[in-house]
Amino acid sequence: MTAVRFPWPRVALIALVVCLWAPIKLAWEIGLERQQDELRYHGVVVTRQLRDQLSQGLTIGVLAGFRNIVADFVWLDVTVAWEKYEWFKMDALINLVTSLEPRSILFWDNGGWQLAWNVSIFVKDDVVHQPNELRRLHDARFWIYRGLDVYQRGIENNPTSYKLWESMGQLYQNRLGDYYRAAWCYGRASQLPGAPVYLERFPAIMMGNQFAHDDWKAYELWKELWFRLTPAQRLEKAHWQEKIISNIRQLENTLKVPREKRVFPN
Amino acid sequence: MIGRILVIARNTLLEAVRQKVLNVLLLFGLVMIAASSYFSQVAIDQQIKFVKDFGCGAIGLIGVCIAILSVAQLLPQELHNRTIYTILAKPVRRSEFLLGKFVGVVLLLTLSVALMSIAFAAVLWWQETQGLAAVQADYVHTPGWGKSPELTNMYQHDVAQIVNQVRDPQMVEAILLIFAKLVMAAAMAMLVSTFSTSFIFTVITTCGIYLIGHMESAARDVWLSHGAQATFGQGLFLEMLSLLVPDMNSFTIVDEILDGNVVPWWHTWNLLGYSAVYTGVLLALSELIFEFREI
Amino acid sequence: MDSPVFAAETLGLTKRYPLAWKRRVVVALNKLDLQVRPGEVFGLLGPNGSGKSTTIKLLLGLIRPNEGEARIFGLGPDDLEARRRIGFLPENPYFYGFLTGDETLQFFGKLCGLRGAKLTARINELIDLVSLQNGRERPLRSYSKGMLQRIGLAQAMIHDPDLLFLDEPTAGVDPQGSAQIRDLILRLKKMGKTVIFSSHLLEQVQEVADRVAIFSLGRKVLEGSLDDLLTEKEATLVSVPGELTDARRDELERLLAQSGFTGANVQFSRPRLSLEQLYLRTVEAERQP
Repeated sequence: MTAVRFPWPRVALIALVVCLWAPIKLAWEIGLERQQDELRYHGVVVTRQLRDQLSQGLTIGVLAGFRNIVADFVWLDVTVAWEKYEWFKMDALINLVTSLEPRSILFWDNGGWQLAWNVSIFVKDDVVHQPNELRRLHDARFWIYRGLDVYQRGIENNPTSYKLWESMGQLYQNRLGDYYRAAWCYGRASQLPGAPVYLERFPAIMMGNQFAHDDWKAYELWKELWFRLTPAQRLEKAHWQEKIISNIRQLENTLKVPREKRVFPN
Repeated sequence: MIGRILVIARNTLLEAVRQKVLNVLLLFGLVMIAASSYFSQVAIDQQIKFVKDFGCGAIGLIGVCIAILSVAQLLPQELHNRTIYTILAKPVRRSEFLLGKFVGVVLLLTLSVALMSIAFAAVLWWQETQGLAAVQADYVHTPGWGKSPELTNMYQHDVAQIVNQVRDPQMVEAILLIFAKLVMAAAMAMLVSTFSTSFIFTVITTCGIYLIGHMESAARDVWLSHGAQATFGQGLFLEMLSLLVPDMNSFTIVDEILDGNVVPWWHTWNLLGYSAVYTGVLLALSELIFEFREI
Repeated sequence: MDSPVFAAETLGLTKRYPLAWKRRVVVALNKLDLQVRPGEVFGLLGPNGSGKSTTIKLLLGLIRPNEGEARIFGLGPDDLEARRRIGFLPENPYFYGFLTGDETLQFFGKLCGLRGAKLTARINELIDLVSLQNGRERPLRSYSKGMLQRIGLAQAMIHDPDLLFLDEPTAGVDPQGSAQIRDLILRLKKMGKTVIFSSHLLEQVQEVADRVAIFSLGRKVLEGSLDDLLTEKEATLVSVPGELTDARRDELERLLAQSGFTGANVQFSRPRLSLEQLYLRTVEAERQP
């Protein structure tokens, strides 16, 4: 064993390991980040604006990697604001939650629903604060559009989620009476992965007698659905073959479609 | 060699278990019970999300405490009790001693994470039962229940939603990624403790690096894209950060999994590989330093 | 024997500790040359901080010298082959308090590569040797100091090493335990083992050591066999059994005067027991049934 003065060779070896590893590490991390970008995952950057909205504790929570939990706590405040009738605060908090967790469908969906349904309907019926009915209707509509805005931003962040398209369709159908837009939303929803099968019939139903009374458009949409389905799909129970066929037949009769142009000529 | 490493590892695990380190896991139980009762005011799908967030958060937090604290006290305790002399006087290399200790901590982490995951699964299962009962209660009172096939369809869809939310196979990925993060934190603590002279210093420094690791990606982006605009000092700081501190923020992709988004296995493997290699480098550096440390 | 292989050997071994805040260097060990032959019992003597422990740690490879060289059976102390042949009992040993006596020996035995029935047999043997039957199932945190010392000895011998380092083996141990340790060292010597031990209790060293080295302030100041160092060449002691009556004393003085031994150089005295001998004799007598 030789005498040791100062372990220079070893220090050099340590330095070498660090110098070799640093560029590999950097390249690897850039690669990881690129993959995450491709997955449309974009974490959250703690900007000054975000820091101003969060308390100090919550900011540290976000910085320490507990973004989801911080968002959950902020979400609880949304309910508190609802109970205190603080609509604009609700709006701001929903914005905050969704910017903390832009990939949580649950927050976009419930956030939009809170504004476009809960707040909007409450405002519409709130005679105490606003006796003027026209103003009430105007305010109700304002909150519907705020909710719609939440859905739209949610879709921008989550283009493959059917849920927000479905909710937007319901909003157009039930709160705005815009059946054409509702049909379009349902149509988009039904094309996305995980969508329940019943959504594929909704666009045609929207055009039917209960809603838009547009027989030609309804006929077109039923036909489109029928031709889109593969023979195997048509036999699956969930696609309701009989229902599609009977609707097409009925509309062909009502609209007096010439026999040679019918899907099901008798 | 492997035999000696395992003997030391087993002894380290035994020490932790006999010192009742695993009692800390009761804390996890409390967090979970508190979380699931605290959130009972919100709708069931939100409850499940919150419970999942808190479960994984608690596994990560308790795990990182176990990882850093147990590594930080390893060497000081061995030196203080002089047990290290007796071990190193036996035919045991220093590297084997260090690696054995580390493997022991990893075994401890494995045990803790496994136990916490089981408790977590139990809480989720209970949430699912609650959720399904709530959905059924909703539908039973809807007019036309049992007659309309459309309604049955919707009911089945809602049930499937809850079941999918609870029994997400991707949770395995989430737990694995959290575990990888804990192992990295333990390796960081190991490196710091080889040159640190006190327990407190090791704990504070490692926690610091761990936290800064979550901001490393931001520093890297700034350095790579705006590096030229920074002053020399700022540039050097960002450069050191980007080159030396591990990227812990990439692991927050666990949040994506918890939100039900698909994170493909190839990405998970990439992250696991990254943490494994990083851990190896940290251990190699620890060994190089420990080898010439006076004890 | 052309080139004798020493059990332990140091050549100009030097260890300095820098005191970072005082800009001073403490020389813990200064140019030590030491050779311990196989089969010897070698005592390192000296006050606290004189370099005994430093020497042992350097020989074990626990710390590294600034200058010089340490060798164990001709190998460097880092060599696993060398470590296989040495056993070490640290000063005031503490072990894992959560392990029982048996588990401690198993742990160290496995570190030395012992397994299974062979290890169990060895543990039984050592437990008997150090009389720790009552400590097998007890955790070490409940051990007394003497018991810790004995389990320490047992672990040092677990792999049957040829060379044992005992750092202050009798510190804090009662006279009984201390005598047991002394007997053990003598037994090891009979088995042909080499023992290097440090102590500041000179009487014990005297009883077992073949050779000693005395340290002071990091320097070896004296070295040699006990016979050489302790024999008073200027006088001879004669011992007779029983009490000496005045008449017989006068007779003896006369005889001595005929041989030329007169005056103040001739002394008569009663041999005294050492306190240790008295203590051991009394306590042993009490223990007899």
